[in-house]
Amino acid sequence: MLSMALALYSTLLFAETNNGRNIKETRIHLSLQHASLKTALQQVEQESGLLFICNKRLLNRYTSFTINKTDISVADALSLLLKETGITYQSKDHLVLFSRDESAAPAVKQSADVVIRGKVTDDKGLPLPGVTVKVKSATAAAVTDNEGNYQIRAADANVTLVFSYIYYKTQEIPVNGQQQVNVQMEASAEQLDAVVVVGYGTQKKTSLTSAVSQINGNLLVQRPVSNVQQSLQGLAPGVTVLDRGGAPGQSNATIRVRGITTFNINSSSTGGYNLDKNDALVIVDGIEQKLADINPDDIDNVSILKDAASTAIYGSRATNGVILITTKRAKENKLSINYNYYYASQNAINKPEMMGLEAYMRMQQVAYTNAGAALPARFTDESITTWVNATDREKYPLPNVWFDRVLRSAPMQNHSLSVAGGDDKIKTRLSARYMTQDGIAPNFKDEIKEVKLNTDYTAAKILKFTGDLNYRTNQATNPTVDPFNNLFHGSLWAVPKYADGTYGLSTQGNNPLMFAEIGGISTKFDDNLVANLKAELEILPGLKISTQYGARIQNIQQKNFTNAYSNTDKNTNITKTIANNSLTEVRNNLKEFTWNNLLTYDKTVGKSAFRGLIGHSEISNTQNYLTAYRERFYNNDVTSIGQGANDGTKSNAGYDAKFGLRSFFGRLNYSYDNKYLLEANGRYDGSSKFTGDKRYGFFPSFSAGWRISQESFWQSLSSTVNELKIRGSWGKTGNQSVDLYSYYSALALTTYTFGGVSVPGYRMSTLANTDLGWESTTQLDLGLDATFLNNRLSFTADYYRKVTNDILLNLGIPATVGLTAPPQNAGSVENKGFEFNAGYRGGNSEFKYNISGNVAINSNKVLDLKGTGPYITGSDIDPRYIVAKGMPVNTLWGYKTDGLFQTQAEINSYPTYAANSKPGDVKYVDLNNDGKIDANDMTAIGNPFPKYTFGLSGDFSYHSFDLNFLFQGAADVDTRLAGALAEMGNQEGFTSSVYTNNYWTPDNTGARFPRPLKFDLRNVATSDRLIIDGSYLRLKNVQLGYTLPKEVASKVHLSRIRVYVSATNVLTFSKLNEWKLDPEVESGRATYYPQTSLYTAGINVQF
Amino acid sequence: MFSFNATKKLNVMKSIRYKSLTGLLLLIVSISSCRKGLLDPLPNDRVSENIFWNTENDALLATNALYTDLDSTNVITWDALTEIAHTNQNFDTQAFIELGSYDIANTKIYNEWSKAYRGIRAANYFLENVGKVPSSNTTLINRFKGEAKVLRAYQYIKLAGFFGDVPLITKTLSIAEAQQLTRTPITEIWDFIDKELSEASALLPATYGAADKGRITSGAAWALKARADLWAGRYQLAIDASNQVTGYSLYTSYQNLFKYAAENNSEVILDKQFLKDTYPHGVFALLAPYSQKNSQSYYVPTKALVDSYETAAGKAISDADSGFDPYHPYDNRDPRLRFSVFVDGDILPSGITFKPAPNSGSPDAVGSTYIASTTGYNIKKYINTEDYANPANSGINIILLRYAEVLLTKAEAKIELNQIDAEVYNAINTVRTSRSDVKLPPIPAALSQIQLRQIVRHERTVELAFEGLHLFDIRRWKTAETTMPGPVFGITYPDASNKLQTVQVVSFNRVFNSSRDYLWPIPQRETNLNTNLKQNPNW
Repeated sequence: MLSMALALYSTLLFAETNNGRNIKETRIHLSLQHASLKTALQQVEQESGLLFICNKRLLNRYTSFTINKTDISVADALSLLLKETGITYQSKDHLVLFSRDESAAPAVKQSADVVIRGKVTDDKGLPLPGVTVKVKSATAAAVTDNEGNYQIRAADANVTLVFSYIYYKTQEIPVNGQQQVNVQMEASAEQLDAVVVVGYGTQKKTSLTSAVSQINGNLLVQRPVSNVQQSLQGLAPGVTVLDRGGAPGQSNATIRVRGITTFNINSSSTGGYNLDKNDALVIVDGIEQKLADINPDDIDNVSILKDAASTAIYGSRATNGVILITTKRAKENKLSINYNYYYASQNAINKPEMMGLEAYMRMQQVAYTNAGAALPARFTDESITTWVNATDREKYPLPNVWFDRVLRSAPMQNHSLSVAGGDDKIKTRLSARYMTQDGIAPNFKDEIKEVKLNTDYTAAKILKFTGDLNYRTNQATNPTVDPFNNLFHGSLWAVPKYADGTYGLSTQGNNPLMFAEIGGISTKFDDNLVANLKAELEILPGLKISTQYGARIQNIQQKNFTNAYSNTDKNTNITKTIANNSLTEVRNNLKEFTWNNLLTYDKTVGKSAFRGLIGHSEISNTQNYLTAYRERFYNNDVTSIGQGANDGTKSNAGYDAKFGLRSFFGRLNYSYDNKYLLEANGRYDGSSKFTGDKRYGFFPSFSAGWRISQESFWQSLSSTVNELKIRGSWGKTGNQSVDLYSYYSALALTTYTFGGVSVPGYRMSTLANTDLGWESTTQLDLGLDATFLNNRLSFTADYYRKVTNDILLNLGIPATVGLTAPPQNAGSVENKGFEFNAGYRGGNSEFKYNISGNVAINSNKVLDLKGTGPYITGSDIDPRYIVAKGMPVNTLWGYKTDGLFQTQAEINSYPTYAANSKPGDVKYVDLNNDGKIDANDMTAIGNPFPKYTFGLSGDFSYHSFDLNFLFQGAADVDTRLAGALAEMGNQEGFTSSVYTNNYWTPDNTGARFPRPLKFDLRNVATSDRLIIDGSYLRLKNVQLGYTLPKEVASKVHLSRIRVYVSATNVLTFSKLNEWKLDPEVESGRATYYPQTSLYTAGINVQF
Repeated sequence: MFSFNATKKLNVMKSIRYKSLTGLLLLIVSISSCRKGLLDPLPNDRVSENIFWNTENDALLATNALYTDLDSTNVITWDALTEIAHTNQNFDTQAFIELGSYDIANTKIYNEWSKAYRGIRAANYFLENVGKVPSSNTTLINRFKGEAKVLRAYQYIKLAGFFGDVPLITKTLSIAEAQQLTRTPITEIWDFIDKELSEASALLPATYGAADKGRITSGAAWALKARADLWAGRYQLAIDASNQVTGYSLYTSYQNLFKYAAENNSEVILDKQFLKDTYPHGVFALLAPYSQKNSQSYYVPTKALVDSYETAAGKAISDADSGFDPYHPYDNRDPRLRFSVFVDGDILPSGITFKPAPNSGSPDAVGSTYIASTTGYNIKKYINTEDYANPANSGINIILLRYAEVLLTKAEAKIELNQIDAEVYNAINTVRTSRSDVKLPPIPAALSQIQLRQIVRHERTVELAFEGLHLFDIRRWKTAETTMPGPVFGITYPDASNKLQTVQVVSFNRVFNSSRDYLWPIPQRETNLNTNLKQNPNW
């Protein structure tokens, strides 16, 4: 033991000062994890068999060492530990005496201009060329040659040399009068000792036993996005981001971690089953928040917890993975100011293209003729000639020019400023952001203003406080009447706008440009305040208690005003009148308070290291919703709710909601010799969404890892495979996404009327289910982490299988029960798959590069529906989805087809979908051979959720230039077209140019599409013909940056100026390109705000 | 070797540690002690079942809610599945039923099924619980029970008409119980309806005060029983029940019968009551011609119906001596035609003239848009000028049973039993002649049973057009297989060369399979969830 108890200053004299033989020759194994100097010295003493004598007053209690050396001399170990401590030592035989270093006083200045030489080697002792050597606080610099040799001129021999090289730790070596300074570089801790944020703490990457993907905040801001969801796309395997664009302020991106685990059955849905319950839990600095609400510039780090081992500590909310976001904090005392600005020009990526005028009109002729109907006046030969030859498009308008007239280029700008700094006691980081985004259609706009203040107080070395405050206001406007449906539907042959400013109208009275411009405006103010206070106390070395209280307050205020107006098409006299203007106002107030208490303990005993955590957490949430309606305002500018007609037409409604979650959780980590790693987690969650003995649920997980590369037998391989770890985990997580009070038997208010007077009534509308319990997911994960080539190449692979049981299903009850279905615990879904991630970092000090790629494969299958189902939604004209045992969730459902009927004889010998079928009609397959085509012939025809997702990103820098790119894509995914996209002009909608000269006629029997048939849908029933392979590969982003020379920057008193240009969503390979549709288009009518491409120019400035 | 300073510093450290720890623990204890209700929040936005059923007023409130299950404008959709009307938009799921291309997954059919059982469940729940209400006013509680029983029987009549055998449910069911149900033979359903309506009629008053206008009367119970017995072929029971319907008479104006001024008139036996703004429906927006603020023409009359109206002199227009002039097809016709259907030349609520001819250049011209009527006719019943200002906000009551039906039910039942007597003639002629604005000649005397059957069927068709009965009638009469198949026709109009052209709905050929289509299939969702439910023949 360390002879501290002696508390005695030895007066022994040593014949041989300093370097005793023993300490140089004795080699030991040193393994420290967050160890204090005392613990470290104890370990050296124990390992070496020497006797250390020391005054414990000398030992700084608060240093923390994490060192892992299998073979190190005691002398080297001591110099490592005593560096910067002001402690020196003397040794003789087996004794080592520690004392204060009296020579550490400032050295006497010696003669000027010395030349220092030396050799730099890598961690294997091989020469390292290209290492930059600098004299600290001076301008002199040199680079090592091919043999790793350098020479540098310094003012004197007492300077400090700084050795730096990419992917190696920068070292500062005091020359101490020597002329030869040899240095062995250590591989950068960035990779080996990288710290990963996990639930309620951090962990070294090397000792991680679970599947966690970490994304550095810098990657997220490489392309301009209005929200974080989009920026996560393609960066981590197992994280599937479906980005369907979205109007300014209204993201349309969904994130799925390792597939779809659950679904909500909702009979009224036409878009398949509601999958909102699959959203991952998002925790920002310990507090649950919405991903869309975070300023990308504030993000330091994103951890995506994927397996149960890492997520079980979040228990009942963790089934769909957990996204942990850590925001940036001030790290140094030095003041640093950053300003980022970009300007982006947005454009719709795809503008569906209408058939050419004559081709379209001729096709209509065929369609009417095939239907046996007389040609309407517009489609007679004479009319077609007139129309085609006309030049006056006010009199003879083109059928559909909306994509060109409604969509336009729109700017987006973002200013982001941060100031960070402080002293040893207080450090703060203040950031502010101002973003404006115009829409690519009229009256779409978004404006975000936000400030964030992160403050750290060190009251004492053992007591720390943090206080964070984030306020954000988001004002999004959009036209009250959505114009996008009418780009495709019900809007043919209208003049978008006459020269005199009036609008043309289609025969259905539609004009999407008019709707967007004068239909009225909806404004949504979304105010968010997040306050987060935390105190942390170190009770004993290694034992810490912390408490955190977070408040999240969201106030949404919405004003949707519909204008009154009247417009008459001056050529056709068709009139559209909105007689009454009206206003719907919405107030939605949400308050959520989170309170976390943690007790953590770290202890190393010999080769065994323990870490433990126990915690308690409570969340309480209240929500209040109010909506009010009035109409007939004086004009469209008087828009205050009190100004609407005060009569029977006014109405209001609202509800209150409350829920709470109380949890207890814990974690235990054990590692032996840094080789064998074990971890156990557990969480006990109680939720107000359940009652009785179903209220609490327990969610455990276990994981283990083996760092094979740490074994002695691996030594021969360790220069090739630097690090190899295998790991496995098993655990259970839950999902409590169920409507509030589902267990509560309640009566709802109804309205009826007798004799002209309104009367209230009460009735039961939803069945209550008191047996409702947790949905739970059991997940197995097997993984492998490896690094090669001096840690330049890293590789991670995972296999997982997760089974979700007791899925909270909403409808599965016979209608004969007569009530809306309650959620029930029924059904199981399996997700299994593989994830691979590889990265390579290379180059030298001039040219650096970093490439990483990832692939994820996910298979989804419904295992069991407890004897209910299958559940089918949709119809003949919209996508049909099925949830059925043995199939992926929301499989596209419909008919198989076998080409087109070519002859009447063929038709006569095969069942048809509709009576009076003719050659050129679709041949639907009579799958069950019962001689008729009906719902029983339907089968799985497509998978709407990608099976494969992949991403490839690269960063290159050469001198002052940097370039990065991101490719991203998905495969084995299908899209089902519907509405105008599918109808091929048989109704009155947009007709894609894809059909041009490619429909069946007796002269064109090999055509891809069936015969046109006006007002008949027999050829567009849900079938595999309407399924388009949605696989794609997209260059999501490419950015080129240039950092101005330092001299230029310093002239304007700045330390760094970088300018860049980037392009987003500019290159896509996809089968949907021919339809001019975005590859991520959702099955259906594509009638939403289009996905955009962006060209961006930006600047980053550091003061 | 400890210095004094070091000890002091250590003490300070200890003190910070101690104070902070105490502070943190106090905070934790104090916050947690005031959070007892965290996991038991009681909703304040709904009424617990546990506090209900305590007062007479609770029983009243629960009775009120049952009326919301009555049908409303959806009765018109049923007529659009017969030869007299048509679903205007070819891509509506209902159009697939017309086309014969529908299947067991059809949502229209599922919706009718589930809506009926929702009403049945509500009544069952009411009848199970109303007994909990402490009340000495037995008459009142019995009246509530009577209302609930009639409202439940109403749903069963409909279900039997749509599906034939259906599960007979007379108590609230758990999910497990519902998954074990089997279909009850239709005769037992009719028995149940007969029993319930008879019982209810004894519990109900014949009339209500002004504030309760619209509640179920004993007359409504009898009239529904007459309807059910007619459909069941229990003709004598139908006649007996009809005779019990007293205190009602035909309203003097057929034209005004569907207008606001005539709400709650002497002919109305059962209706769904509505109130503009508060409890509105959108019949105007649903049915009015397209020129009327882009209203939807969702269901439109067909040539088959329009042609079946007699001339004012009581002759079929196909009669050579009827005097029918195809160039002026709407002149001198049974007045009910132009009270029920918008025809070329009518003045629309906005004040413009209805011009549906394809060559008229009007927004209502056939073919101008798929929203405009594809037959050139629009339904006029319930389309009131008052609703033009706000087409989606109509308050007109939708009549579910009126006295004219009772008269024709009685006549038809007697004809089927060959009890042909003055009562038969009297009933039919009352409908034809007794209103101030419908003065058709009485039917000739001394007709055969077959002739009278034709006459009463015709009379029902035109008198009750778009009121939700014709679908059930053509199923009973088994006439659908002859009247349904084939194209759907609309108006006949003179073209540019004054040659008559008849509008035919583009690409619309109805198919009717007589071995299958007289009953709807049990919805696929239901048979998936309960394999005990056997399917109807040939589905």
